[in-house]
Amino acid sequence: MHNNEVKVLNVAVLGNPNCGKSSIFNKLTGLRQKVGNFPGVTVDKKVGYLTSPSGVEVKILDFPGTYSLYPNSQDERIVVQSFTNPADENYPDVLLYVVDVTKLEKHLLLFTQLCDLGLPVILVLNMADIAEREGMEVDAAFLREQLKTPVIKVSARTGSGIAEIGKELDHFIEQPRNLQRDEPFYPFSKIEQQVIQQLEPDFPGFSPYQLLLLSHHYEWLSFLDDAQKDLIKGVVEKTQMDSLRLQVDETMRRFDHFTPIALHAIKQERASSSPVTDALDRVLTHRILGPVIFMVLMLFVFQAIYAWATYPMDWIEGLFGWMTVQLQAVLPDGWFSSLLTDGVLAGLGGIMVFIPQIAILFLLISILEEVGYMARAAYMFDRLMQTFGLNGRSIVALISGGACAIPAIMSTRTIGNWKERLITILVTPFISCSARIPVYTVLIGFVVPATTVWGIFNLQGLAFMGLYLLGIIAALGSAFIFKLILRTRESSFLMLELPEYRTPVLRNVGLTVWEKVKTFIVEAGKIIMIISVVLWVLASYGPPKEMAQAVQDAEALAEAQSLDEIQTADLVAAKQIEASFAGHLGKFIEPAIQPLGFDWKMGIALITSFAAREVFIGTMATIYSIGSKEDEFSIRDRMARERDPETGLKVYTMATSLSLLIFYVFAMQCMSTLAVVRRETKSWKWPVIQFVFMTALAYFGSLLVYQLFS
Amino acid sequence: MVVTGINNLPLSKVPRGKAGFVSHFTDQLVASKMIAMGVLPGTRLELIRKAPFGGGCYVKVDKHYLALRKQEAACIIMR
Repeated sequence: MHNNEVKVLNVAVLGNPNCGKSSIFNKLTGLRQKVGNFPGVTVDKKVGYLTSPSGVEVKILDFPGTYSLYPNSQDERIVVQSFTNPADENYPDVLLYVVDVTKLEKHLLLFTQLCDLGLPVILVLNMADIAEREGMEVDAAFLREQLKTPVIKVSARTGSGIAEIGKELDHFIEQPRNLQRDEPFYPFSKIEQQVIQQLEPDFPGFSPYQLLLLSHHYEWLSFLDDAQKDLIKGVVEKTQMDSLRLQVDETMRRFDHFTPIALHAIKQERASSSPVTDALDRVLTHRILGPVIFMVLMLFVFQAIYAWATYPMDWIEGLFGWMTVQLQAVLPDGWFSSLLTDGVLAGLGGIMVFIPQIAILFLLISILEEVGYMARAAYMFDRLMQTFGLNGRSIVALISGGACAIPAIMSTRTIGNWKERLITILVTPFISCSARIPVYTVLIGFVVPATTVWGIFNLQGLAFMGLYLLGIIAALGSAFIFKLILRTRESSFLMLELPEYRTPVLRNVGLTVWEKVKTFIVEAGKIIMIISVVLWVLASYGPPKEMAQAVQDAEALAEAQSLDEIQTADLVAAKQIEASFAGHLGKFIEPAIQPLGFDWKMGIALITSFAAREVFIGTMATIYSIGSKEDEFSIRDRMARERDPETGLKVYTMATSLSLLIFYVFAMQCMSTLAVVRRETKSWKWPVIQFVFMTALAYFGSLLVYQLFS
Repeated sequence: MVVTGINNLPLSKVPRGKAGFVSHFTDQLVASKMIAMGVLPGTRLELIRKAPFGGGCYVKVDKHYLALRKQEAACIIMR
């Protein structure tokens, strides 16, 4: 291998959780990175690029934080999957192994495992600045000599030493053999040697340690075919290998080997633990104060989302409104103009308007995560969450669900236990997301007077909070039911590392926010766009005769009432939607929703809401022929005046409004969430179950409320 | 043998603020996970506090911190 022969060097970045691996990855690649998926699983695959000092193009893959090659979660399994298969597309040419130098001893375990796989490894000692501040001296030369591997001291925080990594990669390109080790860190036991010997002939190209790992993990390694799995199973049974026992022995022997090296390499002046962390945790994880502080923090987060997001949301809505007007002015009237404005632009606007809330939520959540607080939240709420079949880590997803279920569901990947993860995914959409806010705002206006109680509370505000609580109760309640129904043999663990509190690296926070927003736009955006166009077709087209008749009727009526141009156009639109396919659908489901107190107009809105809840307002605006001045308050006025044409009674009574509210709290009305659930659970089974379960709860909840209050 | 007064107690029963050393594990699976996270027989552990809602343990391992469930802590026998 020489410079001009190497086209792209594949480098993997790996390390224990909280070692600062992602900071180094971000520092090396900057914005030259993109997120994809590992094949077959939904683990984020971050790929970045950099050009080495000698001009070689380097492709860097950031693997999830891992403790050992005996994995605990889906995230960790991907590491084993990629490194035990020399034919894997992610099999690296060289590994950058990052350790937090203040925890060197603990972090060397995975390092020695990786070396034994036969992979060339460069050891990166991160947090050199913190080590120095704590009075810790690291003998890098000694480590280099003992571990027989290049060692680089860096600080991802200050950027010192980062340039060395590029130079070291260039060294590797020039002399790749230099990194090959000839003696393993771990000499195999008799039984392990037998296993390896028996597997060797059937797996050419695999290193001995790779073969050993195959025998431990063959059941879930997806690159093995059934015949290979049977073969390995045969060997495992024949040699009576006790996987767990061997694993413990191996790990212990590795520690025996490298602990003296680590201890010798590090000179610590004073034995230190972090006094700041000790002091903070005395308060922040206090048995009583801890949860209280958590609640206050979350209140602040939500306040921030609502208060700060309003302005950019208004701008975005304004921008799309302006673009719609401009397009309508430029394009000739007709189906194409309508498709672009009412279908495509409306759909696009519906996606974009959520960006501010999602960005702010993830900004705050990732700051809390970077600081180290989220691990504490998981620790404090684990017991409570377990009661409901969830995991301490679920708390992050449930809170994020308050902004949008899509990124919340994506954040469940850190939950190792499949059952706990699945339940978290299934119940998160019950948490009232930001799309429900406009619907709540309009309907609460009908039911609850805006009076002040006890001097400080607005009654409508309290009603708002009540709806949120209802969502939380539904989430925990159904989690409990799922806990009783779902069976699993997999055991569940917390075993969570609580990292020292650190000031957040803004670059990392920024990149996380950027990445989440991008994922939302791409994942949810695709589906919302498609559904918007489908809905546009349903609402714009109908049986041709009826559509023509509707226009004629409306125009005649308008003339009789001597309406002006805008009012006439609105009336035509209203009559058209009644005659459209959507109108027919609404009337078709009317018998089913009548016991809930809904009429066919609400039926149309319910149908269109299945694309996304916020569509409710727009649909209502069109149905009530005020499409041209579509805002929450003109709609509320118009709906308040709506009366039954036969009985003359008000349509939006207390009972109907309450029933509609309950429906929106419980119903699964978000195609994008269903799509993400399918992606995360890899089957249509779970989104279908979720949809049926939530819709049934919404239906019977509304039925009960309507029958009680009417 | 270090005399700490917590001979053969599982970590979950160790009084708050007491430190000791891991003797052994009573569950293989817990053992394998704990060892991967750097908790081995002979490691010094200190129970700092217990979690709210009757939950798990906040444990200091050498210089760093771990959160363990009660059931997990019950499998770690101290000396």
